[in-house]
Amino acid sequence: MANTRIEPGVPITLQELYPSSQFYKEAVSLRVTGMLTGYSVETAIGVIEDAGKSLKINTQNLRDVSFRVGSIYQFIGELHIEQPNNEAFLQARTGRNVDGIDMNLYRKTVELLRQFLKEEGNSNMVE
Amino acid sequence: MDRSLQNTHAKLVARDIQRLTQSPTESNSFSLLGGACVSRVETVGTIVSRDLTPKFLKFGVDDGTGCVTCVLWLNQLTSSYFSRCHPDTILLLASAARKQAAEIRIGAVARVRGRVGSYRGVMQITATVVVVERDPNAEILHWLECLRLGQSCYRIQS
Repeated sequence: MANTRIEPGVPITLQELYPSSQFYKEAVSLRVTGMLTGYSVETAIGVIEDAGKSLKINTQNLRDVSFRVGSIYQFIGELHIEQPNNEAFLQARTGRNVDGIDMNLYRKTVELLRQFLKEEGNSNMVE
Repeated sequence: MDRSLQNTHAKLVARDIQRLTQSPTESNSFSLLGGACVSRVETVGTIVSRDLTPKFLKFGVDDGTGCVTCVLWLNQLTSSYFSRCHPDTILLLASAARKQAAEIRIGAVARVRGRVGSYRGVMQITATVVVVERDPNAEILHWLECLRLGQSCYRIQS
């Protein structure tokens, strides 16, 4: 059986996704979380938002996920940068509803996790 | 070598599971950076791959620090390994494995417990229990437990 290696989706906050960020790269695997503010059934493209920042999510590869505007979702996938606008969107591999998640705890824990991994190096979360 | 964690499921992030190294003295035991020696682990993450064969279900768990391959055996009714067990026990084990396999779907968050081992140079978990988590904070709480135990317990050298 083929042993294909899947890159882990590095957990980030949407605030960390700006053009000069280390995460703002073509095909980088990310895990993003935010409230769904819009969704088009025709294009399967949704928009999530967290603390004033938003990101387009292409959900065409997802099955068995129902989308409801106003709910919080977490996606794992690859980032793609559209030219010429240099606009990013996530091609989602997985998605799930995480209504009830404590976003403050999530942000703090991601920071702690990065520190923990950084202490011993070799983590793609902390380049 | 510290063997105090041999019979417990060590809560580890995927990055640490991938960094386990074979113990030079104990077979089926692995040490984390020369510290604690473990043979069983527990991890929580999103299922990102699923490959079903007649004998086993192989699935990938992504916890944000890495992806770990897990194997859930489904051959309890045909494998000679289980022939020493009582037939009722075998039926129960087979039923439980098939029930768990049905719940393992891409995108779900699962808590996996099992024996850790190396297959073709890559660490993987032979799952004994797989529970799909409904609590959206389960993964966060698992990360925090891994950090606490990693700093206070697993990395202390004997």
